[in-house]
Amino acid sequence: MLSKKPKATTTFGYLIVPVALYTFAVFIPLLVAVYYSFFEWKGGPNKTFIGLENYATLLHDTVFWQSFGHNLYLVLLCVIGQVGIAFIFVMVISTRFVKLKGIHRTLGFFPSTISAVAIGYIWMMIYDSRRGILNWFLEAIGQGDKTQVWLNNPKLVMTLVAIPLIWQYIGYYMLILLSATSAIDKEIIESAELDGANAVQRAIHVVLPMVKSTVAVCIVLCVSGNMKAFDNIFVMTEGGPGNASMVMAMYGYKISFAQQNMGYGSAISVGIFVLGMLVVGGMQLIPKLFAKKEA
Amino acid sequence: MKKKQYGMTPGRSFGNGVMSVVLNLIMLLFSASCIFPLVWMFYSSLKEKRQFNADIIGLPKNPTLNNYIRILTNPDYHMGESLMNSIRTTLVSVFFIVLFGFILGYFLSRIRFAGNKLIWVMLLMGMLIPVHSLLVPIYVVFNGMGVNDKWFTLMIPYIAFGLPIAVFLIQSFIQEIPTALEEAASIDGCSFSGTLFKIIMPICRPVMVTVAVIQTFSCWNEFSFALVLIKNVRLQTVPLAVKQFSGQFGSDYPKIMTALLITMAPIIIMYFCFSKQIIKGMVAGAVKG
Repeated sequence: MLSKKPKATTTFGYLIVPVALYTFAVFIPLLVAVYYSFFEWKGGPNKTFIGLENYATLLHDTVFWQSFGHNLYLVLLCVIGQVGIAFIFVMVISTRFVKLKGIHRTLGFFPSTISAVAIGYIWMMIYDSRRGILNWFLEAIGQGDKTQVWLNNPKLVMTLVAIPLIWQYIGYYMLILLSATSAIDKEIIESAELDGANAVQRAIHVVLPMVKSTVAVCIVLCVSGNMKAFDNIFVMTEGGPGNASMVMAMYGYKISFAQQNMGYGSAISVGIFVLGMLVVGGMQLIPKLFAKKEA
Repeated sequence: MKKKQYGMTPGRSFGNGVMSVVLNLIMLLFSASCIFPLVWMFYSSLKEKRQFNADIIGLPKNPTLNNYIRILTNPDYHMGESLMNSIRTTLVSVFFIVLFGFILGYFLSRIRFAGNKLIWVMLLMGMLIPVHSLLVPIYVVFNGMGVNDKWFTLMIPYIAFGLPIAVFLIQSFIQEIPTALEEAASIDGCSFSGTLFKIIMPICRPVMVTVAVIQTFSCWNEFSFALVLIKNVRLQTVPLAVKQFSGQFGSDYPKIMTALLITMAPIIIMYFCFSKQIIKGMVAGAVKG
């Protein structure tokens, strides 16, 4: 803190615009959502106050809870897939056997810079039943009977929309974890090796404990990132077939814009807010738990 | 010394050889999968639809730029306009994110004023708020105030959503700068604003570049808020343009690929020119944020 402060008007002058803009885009909408969630409102000039009825509907809305479940499923797959695989790749790439490390970094990170929309279209073309690479590949290896209209399979669809997300972000988490492991003293790993620890033991007992705070950061990023999954699902399935790949943001969008049910849409938004805060807020505790153990 | 002895044991070196091949293969497959879609899309964009449908994976027999010409010259696709919209939205948003981020970051770390804590908590909340819970409400607010579907519409949420991470990165950087610097400047008669922009800002350049890099990608790629706030095709950003194409082109995959490549081009060029700095910036942003 500076001992000599600028005039109060100067401070006010500098801060008013960014703070006002921020409030306008983040907090006003939240308050407005809470307000409209008490109304039956189709977006037109007429709205009727219905108290908590929207929330009562929301509590019993199986599609909404199913969507929440899909979000959690996505989070689970992506934590295992993105952070888990990234960690394995970090261990692989750190061995002295692997060449072309720079190229692996550059190419591995690349997909995470592409928009989720583009990724969605690319994978839609891969999954396409008639012209997709997946079916072409299955035919090519003689498994032609396994080909199908992939994204129409309600049992598989959530996993299929998760795969592009996993693939897209492995490199991202790999680079974050690499920045942490590169700070580890090489001698520690070498002495573990001399003591007879094999690669897996070294990874779990030597490296992992030393980068666990970074792993925790990755998990938090991964959870909050996947709670807001929307773009690639919008592109690939729009939540279908039926509601088999519906996620919360997609459901809120559909109710509000496709069905023009703005009042209920607002209640769903509040629901997304509360559930999102619970999940992401809960995850924020993880680094603290780790920190306590360290102490 | 010991390592060399291991190396001389024949069994060990054979094992190492196999290991080396397997590990390299894993990483090569992964890296190849990351770049394959781009390569596949590129050479497929040089095919006509009929040739693509006959052979989805082969190289084009008679490469043609027809898809590019069709998309860039047909005014119904609004490709040029979309690119301009995205460039304008991204540049203006990133400029203000960096500027506001710098100002807020400076005041929060250096000046004791009423509301310092409050702003801090607001920004922290902004990081935690699931951004898609704002999707419908922000439409309601913008629609009610008549600020949706304007050339500046998207800049408002983009700047706002970019601010928290920008402020946190910049303020943690400013905290490392000794206050003696500003004290000396003020003794030398430098005004507050002069000190802020002429002395502190140049020092903060590296962290401001980091913020700009992160935000350029997220503004360019942002889809969901553009989807609800922009209805006018002449104001759409490139992710919306891609969505519109895919509806119109249906199963003409080479054409969709061409459109995707055009909209991705600025990002791809930027990434492969500055990949080292970009990766460094993004990783620093993720870890510190």
